[in-house]
Amino acid sequence: MATEENGSIKVLQGTLDLIVLRTLATMGPQHAYGISARLKQISDDSLDLNQGTLYPALVRLEQQGWIQGTWGKTENNREAKFYAITRAGLKALDRETQRWRKMAGLVEKLLVAEA
Amino acid sequence: MWRLRRLFAKLCALVAPERAERELAREVESHLALMEDEFQKRGMQVDEARAAARRAYGGVEQVKELHREERTFVWLEQTMQDLRYAFRSLWKDPGFTLLAVITLTLGIGINATLFSAYNAVALKPLPVSGPNEVVRLERWFQSGSRGDIQYAFSRAEYESFRTHNRAFSSMVAASWPRPVIEDTPVANRGGTITGQLVSTNYFHDLGIGTRIGRIFTFDLDTSPEIVISSGFWKRRFQSDPNVVGQLIKIKGTAFTVIGVTPEEFTGTSTTPQPPDFWAPLSLEAKVIPGAKELPVQVLARIKPSVLLQRAQAEANLLIQQVAKPDQRDKTTAISLQHTALFGNTEDIRFKALVFALMLIVGMVLMVACANVANMLLARCAGRQREIGVRLALGASRARVVRQFLTESFLLAVLGGTAGLLASVWCTRLLWSSIVQNFLGSFGGGAAFQANLDPDARVLAYAMALSLLTAVVFGLSPALQFSRPDLTTTLKEEGSAWGLRLSRSRMRAFLVAAQAMVSIVLLISTGLLLRGLMRSQAAEPGFDTRNVFLLIEDSGDMAQNAALQGRLAARLQTMPGIRNAALGSFPMMGTWTPPLLVEGSLGRTLASYASDAYLNTLGIAMLRGRNFTAREVSQGAPIAIISEATARRFWPRGDPLGKQLNLDLNFQGKFSKFEVVGIVRDVRFASLSRMDTGHVYLPAAPGDFQGVLFRSHGDAQTAIASARAAVREVDENQLPGLTIASIEDGPLRVQKSLAQTYMVYAAILTLLALTLAAVGIYGVMAYLVNQRAPEIGIRMALGATPATVLTTVVVEGLRPVFVGVALGIAGAAGLSWVLHTTLVFPGSTDFFYGIPFYDPATFLGVSCFLIFVAGVASLVPARRALRVDPMVSLRHE
Repeated sequence: MATEENGSIKVLQGTLDLIVLRTLATMGPQHAYGISARLKQISDDSLDLNQGTLYPALVRLEQQGWIQGTWGKTENNREAKFYAITRAGLKALDRETQRWRKMAGLVEKLLVAEA
Repeated sequence: MWRLRRLFAKLCALVAPERAERELAREVESHLALMEDEFQKRGMQVDEARAAARRAYGGVEQVKELHREERTFVWLEQTMQDLRYAFRSLWKDPGFTLLAVITLTLGIGINATLFSAYNAVALKPLPVSGPNEVVRLERWFQSGSRGDIQYAFSRAEYESFRTHNRAFSSMVAASWPRPVIEDTPVANRGGTITGQLVSTNYFHDLGIGTRIGRIFTFDLDTSPEIVISSGFWKRRFQSDPNVVGQLIKIKGTAFTVIGVTPEEFTGTSTTPQPPDFWAPLSLEAKVIPGAKELPVQVLARIKPSVLLQRAQAEANLLIQQVAKPDQRDKTTAISLQHTALFGNTEDIRFKALVFALMLIVGMVLMVACANVANMLLARCAGRQREIGVRLALGASRARVVRQFLTESFLLAVLGGTAGLLASVWCTRLLWSSIVQNFLGSFGGGAAFQANLDPDARVLAYAMALSLLTAVVFGLSPALQFSRPDLTTTLKEEGSAWGLRLSRSRMRAFLVAAQAMVSIVLLISTGLLLRGLMRSQAAEPGFDTRNVFLLIEDSGDMAQNAALQGRLAARLQTMPGIRNAALGSFPMMGTWTPPLLVEGSLGRTLASYASDAYLNTLGIAMLRGRNFTAREVSQGAPIAIISEATARRFWPRGDPLGKQLNLDLNFQGKFSKFEVVGIVRDVRFASLSRMDTGHVYLPAAPGDFQGVLFRSHGDAQTAIASARAAVREVDENQLPGLTIASIEDGPLRVQKSLAQTYMVYAAILTLLALTLAAVGIYGVMAYLVNQRAPEIGIRMALGATPATVLTTVVVEGLRPVFVGVALGIAGAAGLSWVLHTTLVFPGSTDFFYGIPFYDPATFLGVSCFLIFVAGVASLVPARRALRVDPMVSLRHE
């Protein structure tokens, strides 16, 4: 769920974890900058992640054991911490996705019915 | 699973934050570098790209802080910081810390001690297995009779309960511990030992094992077997490991010892005397010859699936079915009581006593709190600059308050821990002094035993008390000094006059509150002490030295009218005995039926008396005549009343020949008696005060409490004669019999109990005096010290020392006066409430006749406190006067 304000979308709590997990599952291991750049690209620049929300999400996911960070080198030979989704993370992604779909469907139904 | 994992990760981050910090810094660094690369790729210069990356990234420190908040428990981390800080700051000020901790130790210690004792006797369950399922059956009588009698059930009642109930998985019965005489006593030991008769399932169903040997088996063979207590095993058998199989001979029967109970089993009787041995109920006739069907206490184990209320309802129903219709006092209800060392702990009188004690020690704690709060205030005033700096640097007010409270909590926990440790020791002291009193008196063979070890309940109580005190004494200084008033606090401390005004009201309030609580405490303990000091010289008003009571443990004799009569007649003829009588024993229980005279209803003490009774006790007849032997044997409807009764119910007329009506059985049915005599007032119910009303009645045979006699000449001869008389009449009565003069018996119990109370009242008073004096002195001196610059300025402006002193002292004393006045009102109210309980003729007057407004105590205590406050403001004020006015001006 996201709200729009001045053209850019801010991520609501709870959904960010799902988005990050999805991104990592699709793209393989990524560093924080990579994740935020990817999200920006997919959303056509309308989702500008504040680092202040991305970092806590990463530490939360890592502490839950859903992603794991390891230090590596980028193609430009810069060192960066790459986050990869774990097996527990994949399961959690499944769960969260289903929950999201149910929720979104419900909201959609409500909106249609009450319109 | 992942939640747990996260919790663990957070805790790890809490313990070792450095690694995560380094990692985070590295990650942010790399993130910035990657962004920089990106911007360069888009054609920016190196410097430009760096600045752009920083801009795009946002506040690095904020991100790190958010990361930290997510990574670990920030509040916990801050609490640990606060704790470290509090430790350091308390360590730096050892004088303050020590004084505060000692004050709190005293306050919390005395409360924890009282609670430990209460816990041991009224809250701790009995030492049986699954104690929460075990209940004690207690019956309630129509007459409202209270006491041990509420736990007495007949064998028939027990059997009927046992067979018909469906709520209990088992029921056990046990008699009261009874003294018996061992045939071949061991050297230098008296032959009297105490035994308790129990149902054979007693040990098994209560889950009590043995340290040696075995418990009773269920088969109903009556081979004489006994289980002995650990204490008896040590005393009588010198802890002989081969005790099983040895014999104890009682009345010609040899009982085989089959087991020894564990040390911690202190018995289940409502009076906490562990007996020396236990024998099956079926052996009653052999253990206590002459006894038949002793009443038993009943314990029951509720089935796990059954609710207490349901079991209760069932018990109520069952008792109505067993009750015989001709019972003298009908049982109206049964309650299932959770087992504790003492019975009757739900009795309103016991609760009132506990409440009164709790109130007094609670006040001690309040004074202690007030002292520490005022000490903290003074300390905070000295730290105002530090607080100002912290607030200016961006600490939130909540954070500063938390810091203060952490310090208070630390103090309270230190004081609480020390208090708890002290209380463990004090509780033992308290208990042994109480037990000593009972042992020193008559009839005490076995010691009361209680498990005094502090349990979780005591621990929780002490800690809760500590935390509560921390909030009480810590909150007001914390709130007062954390006001974010940056401009003034950053300036020289305490120089802003406006600020001081608003705070001075708060401080005046605190001083008044402290004075008030101190006064209430001092007056309560003072009144108590003054009253109890009178106890040792109190005279009951009748002969106590030469009158002896035949006190029996069993109560058989009281039920056996013929026996009593024979015994009294025989005693009369024995050498050394002047006369013998039947009747109530003074100071050993009261009976207070409603009394109705010409429309005015009240309660009075009542006693049964034989014709020789008043003579034997030496209660002087003022007018009218005594009962005749004939009237007594017929239970004639006549009465002799005390002076006080005459005054209360016949304020003008002459009571002689008039009628009075008594509701003897508390059933609303009054019986008529004609007044034939008036006797002098005495202290019959208790040594503490004259009876407020007393009616002596001739009894129907069997209603007399017991036998008493008056000696002439040597006491030992009289006692020996009395024993010989008992042996002649019924020697089975001898084991349970104590012959003691009123002086050595009930009077000594009352006096030594009063003396024990007096010692504690003295300790409390001393503690209260010290705390009150130290507290009020400290806060007054501090307040005047605060005004030292002001005094300097006044002097510089030309005020004379005399006027300055007067203003400072008078102004300083104003809140003290207010507090003292409020305290006097509060104390008077409290003591008035306590005195109103004396309307009941049976209650004890702990003040021994001291009036509730006793001027000496009230005046003395108030003067003392005002004097201390006066000196406390005078001394620093004089010091301030000597300071050069220029110095204080420059200071300002």
